[in-house]
Amino acid sequence: MSSAAERPAAWRAAAGLWRRTGVRQMLLQTLVVAAAFVIAGVLAQASIARLSEAGIRRQVLGEAGSMVEEWRQHGAAHLPHTIRKRSRLWRGFEYGLARPDGRLVEGDPDIVVAAAGWREATAGGRTILAYTQRLPDGSWLSVGQDESVQRRQASAVASALWACGGAGVLIALGVSALLYRRTWLRVDRLAQTAALVSAGDLKVRAPQRRAAKADDIDDLARDFNGMLDRIERLIAQVRQVTSDVAHDLRTPLTRVRHRLERLETAAADHPALAESVRQIDADIAETLRTFDALLHLADIESASTPPGMADLADVAARVTDAYRPDIEESGRSVEARFTSAKVFGDADLLAQLVANLLENAMRHTPTGTRIRVVVEADAGTARLSVVDDGPGVPEHLRAAALAPLVRLEPSRNTPGSGLGLSIVAAVATRHRAQLTLGDAAPGLAVTATFPAAA
Amino acid sequence: MRAFAGSSAASASLSLLVVEDDAADAEYVREALTDAGHEVAVAADGPAALVLGRSRSFDVLIIDRMLPGMDGLTLLGALRASGVDAPALFVTALGAVGDRVAGLEAGGDDYLVKPFAFAELKARVHALNRRRANARPATLLQSGDLTLDRIERQARVAGAAVDLLPLEYRLLEFLLLNLGQPVTRKMLLEEVWGFRFDPRTNIVETHISRLRAKLDRPGAAPLIQTVRGAGYVIGG
Repeated sequence: MSSAAERPAAWRAAAGLWRRTGVRQMLLQTLVVAAAFVIAGVLAQASIARLSEAGIRRQVLGEAGSMVEEWRQHGAAHLPHTIRKRSRLWRGFEYGLARPDGRLVEGDPDIVVAAAGWREATAGGRTILAYTQRLPDGSWLSVGQDESVQRRQASAVASALWACGGAGVLIALGVSALLYRRTWLRVDRLAQTAALVSAGDLKVRAPQRRAAKADDIDDLARDFNGMLDRIERLIAQVRQVTSDVAHDLRTPLTRVRHRLERLETAAADHPALAESVRQIDADIAETLRTFDALLHLADIESASTPPGMADLADVAARVTDAYRPDIEESGRSVEARFTSAKVFGDADLLAQLVANLLENAMRHTPTGTRIRVVVEADAGTARLSVVDDGPGVPEHLRAAALAPLVRLEPSRNTPGSGLGLSIVAAVATRHRAQLTLGDAAPGLAVTATFPAAA
Repeated sequence: MRAFAGSSAASASLSLLVVEDDAADAEYVREALTDAGHEVAVAADGPAALVLGRSRSFDVLIIDRMLPGMDGLTLLGALRASGVDAPALFVTALGAVGDRVAGLEAGGDDYLVKPFAFAELKARVHALNRRRANARPATLLQSGDLTLDRIERQARVAGAAVDLLPLEYRLLEFLLLNLGQPVTRKMLLEEVWGFRFDPRTNIVETHISRLRAKLDRPGAAPLIQTVRGAGYVIGG
């Protein structure tokens, strides 16, 4: 049953349990219960031991008194006879009689001593508490009682206490676990709901009980669900507004462009007029590009991880091949090193990510710059990097470089909408990839680290 | 440079159905396509388009996705269900990532986001019609003394082999499949590179000029011609 492979799972389960609400309180309570039992047990045992020793002493003194009485009434010669008789009848006492010089006359040699008072004698596995007194003729009389009977009683009491204590601790643990289990399951369901929402499912809701049974966890679930309702409504509104704006702006612009096209045809005999019509059309096209890029950015940001799977190496190779002639024509060079690396996601969006990074590397570097595109895979991750040996981006400006419409050149007169890297960041986020801008010493290294698919 | 006019010998007259609820826009589209030599029927909403589409046969359907009452996707579904198999081009103001996929899944063959240039619309209508006509793939494509052997994947100019990179081959093949009809930059980006975004660089122009450098002989007219405002064309 307990194979080596099962043990880490058990450890993980135990570690998971430790992190749960109430487990630590529960264990502390159990510890207090156990400590109370231990203290009570120790005290009880001590007082039982004391009581039983006092009882033995009383009985031994009584027996000794009765023996002295025997000696007085029947004389010294009769005492050994009494000892034999009482030993034979077994009244629960041990006896010893010795001459004044300490030599044994009758009884148990282990308890006989030539000194008055109490002492403990151990013999044959027994512990005998014995009282010795000097008789008027100078001989020594010892009476003792075996303590082991009382000891056994005391230890029986102790075992009973331990058993009760152990059972008490187990019951305390079990009852607390049963009580907390329901709480844990409900907290688990809340956490699962939150995880599904983070993964992009806005339709899920946390379970809630009827108002009559509701407790603080239900209140939490209700507020949590209220928050989800609001998030879902807001996202739906943003989508609606986005598509309404897109429709309401594109429809008239379509008409404008179509009028311009007819105007251009009509102006065939006036080259200057036809040219300015083309200019207007080009300006409208440029406005639309920025507008489209903004809509596209909002669209990418509002959705969850797209379905499907793509090989980053294939995507990067396709895009790099497409841009290679352009990069070379511009006086820069590009080299590629690709290792197959599958990721979950949308090949079109990933292609745009690579394209925007390449365009960025072309636009912000001097001629002669070498650009490297690298796709690597290792345990659990797939990495795409676009690295150049151009001037790079100073560390304090790197975060700003990813923000929409930000351009690091203050003049804003290089071409580009300032949305390229924002779209890269949005595509990366949508694919759960980590995007970093680093120093390639010299140059800029942009790396997107994706969770690998299988 | 050759101006692209509807009078080109290779541009067949097609019968087209335009479904567009914006009256002014429908009229512009109708005029532009009529000027290009096509026969155009216009429907302003889904039910009217359904009646028209079932009663006559069209070469290409041009459908606005956002129509009052019955939306474009539902309309195309209904047309497809009643056996209309003409290629369909969705025209839409919705450009979101999911919208295009939804359009293609509903049976659409191509997707054009507003506002578009007429040249783009005309080129795509021709390409859609051509794609259906090319259902049986030709193994040898030809224009003048340029041949493209699709089995050997080999281009020849006047019998002399020309070595092409895989991308250049796909570019030339797509141009030859649309012989005599301009294909736009956007169509090339989608078909040859699989890019559904708009690169801010001249990647199409650069690849075309490299391809030209390999194909054109000194003194002869360029095989690939630029059509201003429209794109590129071979032959015709």
